[in-house]
Amino acid sequence: MSLTECYIALGGSYEEVLSRLSSERLVNKFVLKFLTDPSYDLLVRSMESKDWPEAFRAAHTIKGVCQNLSFTTLYQSSNQLAEALRNGYTPEAPALFDQVCADYERTAGAIRAYQAESEV
Amino acid sequence: MYNRHTHVMPYFPAGSFFRGPVCENVRFRLYQRQCRRRGTTPYCQKGDPMTPKQKILIADDSEMNRAILSEMLGEEYEIIEVEDGAAAVAALQKYGAELSLLLLDIVMPKMDGFQVLEIMQERRWIDDVPVVMISSESASSHVERAYDLGATDFISRPFDARVVHRRVVNTILLYSKQKKLIDLVMEQIYEKEKQSSLMVDILSHIVEFRNGESGLHVLHIRTLTELLLKHLVQMTDRYPLTPADITLISTASALHDIGKISIPGEILNKPGRLTDEEFAIMKTHSAVGAAILEELPFHQNEPLVQTAYEICRWHHERYDGRGYPDGLKGDEIPLSAQIVAMADVYDALTSERVYKKAIPHKEALQMIIGGQCGTFNPLLLQCLQEVSDQIRKPEDGHNGLSQYEVRKATEELLRREELTASDRTLQLLEHERMKYSFFAAMSGEIQFEFTLSPPMITLSSWGAGHLGMPETIMNPLQDQALLSILGEETIRGLVANIQATTPDQPIIQYDCEAHLSGELRWVRFICRATWSPDEPPQCTGAIGKAVDIHEERKKLNHLEREAAHDALTGLLNHKYAKMQIKDMLKARTDCHFALAVLDLDRFKSVNDTYGHMFGDEVLVYSSGRLKHSVRGNDIVARIGGDEFLIFIEYQQNLEVIVDRIFSALICTYKNFPISVSMGVARTEAVGRDYNALFKAADQALYTAKRTGSGKYCFYIDTMQPGETMVSQIENMKDPVKDTEEKEEETT
Repeated sequence: MSLTECYIALGGSYEEVLSRLSSERLVNKFVLKFLTDPSYDLLVRSMESKDWPEAFRAAHTIKGVCQNLSFTTLYQSSNQLAEALRNGYTPEAPALFDQVCADYERTAGAIRAYQAESEV
Repeated sequence: MYNRHTHVMPYFPAGSFFRGPVCENVRFRLYQRQCRRRGTTPYCQKGDPMTPKQKILIADDSEMNRAILSEMLGEEYEIIEVEDGAAAVAALQKYGAELSLLLLDIVMPKMDGFQVLEIMQERRWIDDVPVVMISSESASSHVERAYDLGATDFISRPFDARVVHRRVVNTILLYSKQKKLIDLVMEQIYEKEKQSSLMVDILSHIVEFRNGESGLHVLHIRTLTELLLKHLVQMTDRYPLTPADITLISTASALHDIGKISIPGEILNKPGRLTDEEFAIMKTHSAVGAAILEELPFHQNEPLVQTAYEICRWHHERYDGRGYPDGLKGDEIPLSAQIVAMADVYDALTSERVYKKAIPHKEALQMIIGGQCGTFNPLLLQCLQEVSDQIRKPEDGHNGLSQYEVRKATEELLRREELTASDRTLQLLEHERMKYSFFAAMSGEIQFEFTLSPPMITLSSWGAGHLGMPETIMNPLQDQALLSILGEETIRGLVANIQATTPDQPIIQYDCEAHLSGELRWVRFICRATWSPDEPPQCTGAIGKAVDIHEERKKLNHLEREAAHDALTGLLNHKYAKMQIKDMLKARTDCHFALAVLDLDRFKSVNDTYGHMFGDEVLVYSSGRLKHSVRGNDIVARIGGDEFLIFIEYQQNLEVIVDRIFSALICTYKNFPISVSMGVARTEAVGRDYNALFKAADQALYTAKRTGSGKYCFYIDTMQPGETMVSQIENMKDPVKDTEEKEEETT
């Protein structure tokens, strides 16, 4: 699996990120690093404990990271969740959170697959 | 014009004034300037392993985001990363103007990017450290607010690596240029002036050299011209001169006699009086000098050249129109020429020439004012008189002037020093910081800085390491780690104490207990509150240290205990028992108490028969039984040889309690039968005064003894006063104490 294919699988734009970061090495490095980013765990924990300000920040951070890496799909859902939590809890939040979880799994899954193949 | 003359001074190779005799300092400055022109800084050149990189602070809560930015900038800059706004503030405080740039996220825990900007503005850090905001908050209100708060630039996510890089570089360049612009301009002006003056001096020296004059003439004229002009503008606004004009005229004054280069040496240096013919030739020097300047192939429009022309041509004109070469009158003569004319005359008079001796200052002044050297502008004459004290030359040395020179040089030096103050100050600060952290680490004290707004504690690195805490603690009252060490009450108490100081007496000492490495230890805080210079002053926080005083405190407690207890039996002594009983009587007015005095029967005979050692054993043994027979809160004391005191609280059935204690004391120790006699007084019967209680108990003991040993007796008010059992020595009281007690009773 190439990086391009990985981006297709996770619903992002490889061309876009490459044009911005202008280095395949960098893109590769940060895509792999995404798996160790603690923001998603923080989001899950904050949603469980109903710590809405913390959940907002976590969603916001995920959104920022996705923007930087052009992970379009996860960017969109995390952006919506962040907006829904910006001023505390709203009824839309749980559904949006579920979407973020699904998109995160998809993104992380694609990266893991890419990682597994590139390590071989 | 200048280059044409460089060949006359062979120790200045062409094209480089700053080799040879010019001091190192100037050359260093030139190097600095060249560096700046190239857009590098002299101290931080890229690729120079000896010089540190410029520092960039990145504040972003996402490690990924920081890593991406670091990756983009880390090669050229030293990156410092922090993960929230509070840490950003702490880093700003730590590094200050050393930071070349702050990349600031908006949404962060503890303190967001806007709050950081607000603090930067409040403390004026924003003047020194440019801020580039990076955020995915692209709403225009956010962007606007960032700019309003002083951000230099705003980059939205997703960002382009090249854009970030370019904007960072641009911002740093712009800021460092702005910072250096003022001193750069100042320095250049200074250098330029210095170069012009240098050339002018060389040129006029040539003339004087030929003239056989000391070479000081030119210097004197220039100094005097400057002095007169500066004073003149203070006297009148008739001649509107800027400081630049004054400098220009003073510099140009040195050229007043360049026309003399055309005068034959034998006339110039003729010791005797000039013939009319010779004088006519001599007089041409002013017009010739002007002509030399007029015929310059370039620099014709330079103010320096134009002013020099005026001075050369007309410095022998006189106010009444009787001078030469043009016979100008009054203010037809340019002020520059009028002033130089007067300075020229004064210096000619007061200096020695081949044809004359030096004339003393006072006399020379009189000659000029009296019109013996031609008529001058009355205003200038007044001006000359008024600065007379400043130019007086003691016995015609040039000390007066050289003192003026010294002052001027000092001013100049200060000005130049000021130009590099920022660099030097930074070095000094760095040195101070190194010293501070070294001493802080050596002292074994936890040192800290505390600010009220934002509420923040900064620990010395040793202190932070020792406590296992971060160096910066935001909102100390909410910080769990800190609360678990000190507790909320202690922190509040400390803050209240700090706020209760005054700017005149800002130092406080505060002892408290703290949980340190698993145990409760006594700690002493010594703090100096910081007060703002506002009117009225505001308390802004404190600096201070915390010292572990546990060991000393323990020693002190031990000593206190020793002082309070009887060495043999370990019971309280009389003095401390009395203090405690008095406190209890005062504090617990709703309780009933009984005070009992007792002694061992036939104790004297124990000592006599079995010896003092055995006597002591009996005392220790009885004390132990006594202690066990009462409750924890009751007070037991040894008040004399074999006399003891008990103070107990009771609700009812006092008799039962007393009987129990009494029975417990009747026993046998090593075949020696012990029994006691005891007198008891109750607050119900006697009242709550200690002395009265003690006296009553003593009387009751006396009564008990009188009816035979081994009994106890309660005090009743029919008992006869005056009879006591407790030994007289014990009953003798300190007269001072007595007075105190009487006072207590009367109040």
